Amino acid sequence: MMTVLEIVKAVSSGEKTAEQITRQSLAKIAELNPSINAFVEVFEADALARAKEVDAKRARGEKLGVLAGVPVAIKDNILYKGHKATCCSKMLENYVASYTSTVVERLLAADAVIIGRTNMDEFAMGSTNQTSVYGPVKNPVNLECVPGGSSGGSAAAVAAGMVPVALGTDTGGSVRQPAGFCGIVGIKPGYGRISRYGVIAFASSADQVGILTATVADSARVLEVLAGKDVHDSTSLDSPVPQYEHLFTDGLKGVKVGLPKGFLDGLRQDIKDKLNQAAARLKDMGAQLVDVDVPYAKYAAPCYYIITSAEASSNLGRYDGIRYGYADNQAKDLNTYYEGSRAPFGLEVKKRLIIGTYALTSERYEECFLKAMKVRELIREDFKKAFEQVDVLLTPTSPTTAFKLGQHDEDPLALYLADLYTCQGNIGGLAGVSVPFGKDGKGLPIGVQFYGPILKEEKILNAAYNLEKGL
Amino acid sequence: MEITKKDVELAAKLAKMKVSEREVAIYQEQLEALFKWVRELAAVNTDNVKLTNVNHCAHLRADVPTSDPALAAQLRSAFDEEQDHCAKVKKVL
Repeated sequence: MMTVLEIVKAVSSGEKTAEQITRQSLAKIAELNPSINAFVEVFEADALARAKEVDAKRARGEKLGVLAGVPVAIKDNILYKGHKATCCSKMLENYVASYTSTVVERLLAADAVIIGRTNMDEFAMGSTNQTSVYGPVKNPVNLECVPGGSSGGSAAAVAAGMVPVALGTDTGGSVRQPAGFCGIVGIKPGYGRISRYGVIAFASSADQVGILTATVADSARVLEVLAGKDVHDSTSLDSPVPQYEHLFTDGLKGVKVGLPKGFLDGLRQDIKDKLNQAAARLKDMGAQLVDVDVPYAKYAAPCYYIITSAEASSNLGRYDGIRYGYADNQAKDLNTYYEGSRAPFGLEVKKRLIIGTYALTSERYEECFLKAMKVRELIREDFKKAFEQVDVLLTPTSPTTAFKLGQHDEDPLALYLADLYTCQGNIGGLAGVSVPFGKDGKGLPIGVQFYGPILKEEKILNAAYNLEKGL
Repeated sequence: MEITKKDVELAAKLAKMKVSEREVAIYQEQLEALFKWVRELAAVNTDNVKLTNVNHCAHLRADVPTSDPALAAQLRSAFDEEQDHCAKVKKVL
């Protein structure tokens, strides 16, 4: 599959039509999806009609958008009017979006073609894409392995070359971790950079739309389209959106890259080696390496599981058979109606709702939820101080590479630890990008991550761009 | 902070979910492991920590004046206190 930038150039110049590109993408999906299970629905007729509109626009001599003819896959929790959005849950199996999310509106305005919706962990809760009601996604690099999650379908679709770009959502690493596992680029901008309007909520203080592409420059182009204030989302930030690609530099002279102390303790040796190689590469490109102290960051994971589960217990309260979701019409009274209507939730979702509800009970509120919220403040302060010293931080994306399907089913804590390095970004509201940097001994991709402060996505994109270029 | 089966059953009930005995047993074990981890937070001194917004643009008061001052005054009068021509609501946390 061509890159985003190559497609835009080809379609804009008339070298290829948007219809040809769309048909290529549809053919690749038809060929590979049966073995990978990345897509849960392909909008074939819609996509072709849309592609023809883009071609007609060009034929009329009108200016094309900056994503002209680019096929884009969207995660199954992002609304596109008239199309199903199920969060890969039985709870929403027949839900059809009644309006379009801001991110999809902006893609369409840029002349992109929405090609279908991708598989995900149920309600975005998971890091393996095994909790989907549509079945697990397989990692295109090794079909016996998980693609990561929860945006596993989006990552697999890009890694397999079905589409050049897919949208995901990232609440604790759900874009960056699957990007790392599948060997592609995944960016989660800082909290508030992209509107969440029309994105089905999991944990509102951490949820953020992210972008998965094959190259850093492609991610930069798509971010430019999606970022910016939206009147429909009061948490979206009102700040000018730069043309990120124009801010890429040749080398990293004068850039300070922070290496958080203690982050590599206990890390798998091959991943540690790769990270050290990445640091050395950045230094060769002119960056200055600086050790930084972020002492509270190690508490991010327990904070993350308390806070996001508590927010989920509130957000998912709406699936009661009255406002949204499955309705148990056989129930005899209100209590059994609620219980029956909420029965379609899968095991992982139920567990997180129980964790969240428990953490919010009057007996546990202070020692669990309030404590986690206060520690979150300390973590944010840690990162704020770190970014007074450096431009970006370099960390691993994940403590492991992709593992076998079903490998950690009996040990959920091991799965939760897969988010160790990524959930810090959501707890801190930071911008983070995972970029592939080599492979392990089994040929599985290793990702490294850059963190940057809120509204400074250009810094992490530039660091990632230079690292990618040096490969 | 030991997690008992009763804790799991109570939380499930509050979340309006029915859980089987088997599920209760699984969740109890998994929650126990998770909350062992959460207990590490107790070691962090948070005595002087104040909570802030997730980002600095959220929940700012809109500065758009209402088109109907009489209606605005009527709405404000429904509250106990007023400040800067805005209704003042009681602090929740």
